[in-house]
Amino acid sequence: MKHLKEHLRNLNRIERKSYHPLIHEIHKNYAISHNTLFYIKEYGPHSNVPKTIIRESLKILLLASLIDTFGGLAVERVKDAFLSLLPLVILLPTLNDLLGDFATIVSGRFSTMLHEGVVGKSWSQSKPLRKLLAQILIVALFTGTLASSAALIISMLKGYALGYLLVVKIFFVVLADVALLVTILFFLTVVTGLYFYKRREDPNNFLITITTSVADFGNMIILAVLVSIFF
Amino acid sequence: MFGGLIGGIFLAVYVDKIFFIPGMFILFPGFLDMRGNISGALASRLSSGLFLGIINPSKLNTKIIRGNLLASFFLAMVVSLVLGTLAFLFSLIVFDIFVPKIILAALLAGIIANAIEVPLTLLATFYFFKKGHDPNNIIGPVITTSGDVISILSLLVAVFII
Repeated sequence: MKHLKEHLRNLNRIERKSYHPLIHEIHKNYAISHNTLFYIKEYGPHSNVPKTIIRESLKILLLASLIDTFGGLAVERVKDAFLSLLPLVILLPTLNDLLGDFATIVSGRFSTMLHEGVVGKSWSQSKPLRKLLAQILIVALFTGTLASSAALIISMLKGYALGYLLVVKIFFVVLADVALLVTILFFLTVVTGLYFYKRREDPNNFLITITTSVADFGNMIILAVLVSIFF
Repeated sequence: MFGGLIGGIFLAVYVDKIFFIPGMFILFPGFLDMRGNISGALASRLSSGLFLGIINPSKLNTKIIRGNLLASFFLAMVVSLVLGTLAFLFSLIVFDIFVPKIILAALLAGIIANAIEVPLTLLATFYFFKKGHDPNNIIGPVITTSGDVISILSLLVAVFII
């Protein structure tokens, strides 16, 4: 009885957030994957599902909100110039969407490269990595051109007066924004991904949240700077 | 990209109404980002549960799904409220404009957007899984495409109501 009480006390002391030794034991003895056991531990029949999700997600969501707000603040400063440029108003959610997609693609593909061991010791010398950067830049510039053309056509159909200089400026602002941000996102992905990979953590769990937030924030800042310079 | 373009067209048509409230640009990027952060994570958790066999694709009313929906709605409300409060505070501090109704606009738009997006994410994840696809590969573009349009329309509806 005394032993049982002691065991129960020990069990009670184990924090939910700590890695439970039983997980390793069950994985070894019954060949159940760590992922399955982790999922069961997090969302099993005796866990409070909403509490677990809220506790783990809230901090990163609030941080992402704060970062995005700073991005919005930059555009609010050039609001009048921005609102007078209808093509850029149309392009605002389009570019956010586009750059978020590129952030997700680069993060996902780089994580897979790391897991496959394709990157090698020196990432700057890595051929597949250079190829990925070139591919993503070409696709980004192509989709940027496509999005700008669509926004300009829609603006024209709405009766917005488009001059030659304005069209050139819109194309330049969008392509500069896309090229600059895709390059920044690429290097951010590589540096952050290598950091988490060296710490023996799955980069998939961190990279997308970090890069998409930086993409949204960066897009707003770069657009605000370019608009204040060119318009 | 096309979701963003459709969202952009709505924005262009109703630009004078949406951005009529000062501080809306401060709120805007965070509001657009929220749909991916909350619905994307929900889809990812549901997909993992479905693949591991912990979530049954033919049963919607289970503890784990109810918990996921509840948590997603709660997070959406809190994040909307925080985004609205941040927009209000920055408008006041940086631009010296007092617009408390931006908090209400953010909260209302957050309720409307997530009342559509969260169930849509759940149903889409289950649908793609049942069809034999990996929801992780499809649900991201579905959420971002539909989310851009839904978020902008929700903001518009919230501004009209206020």
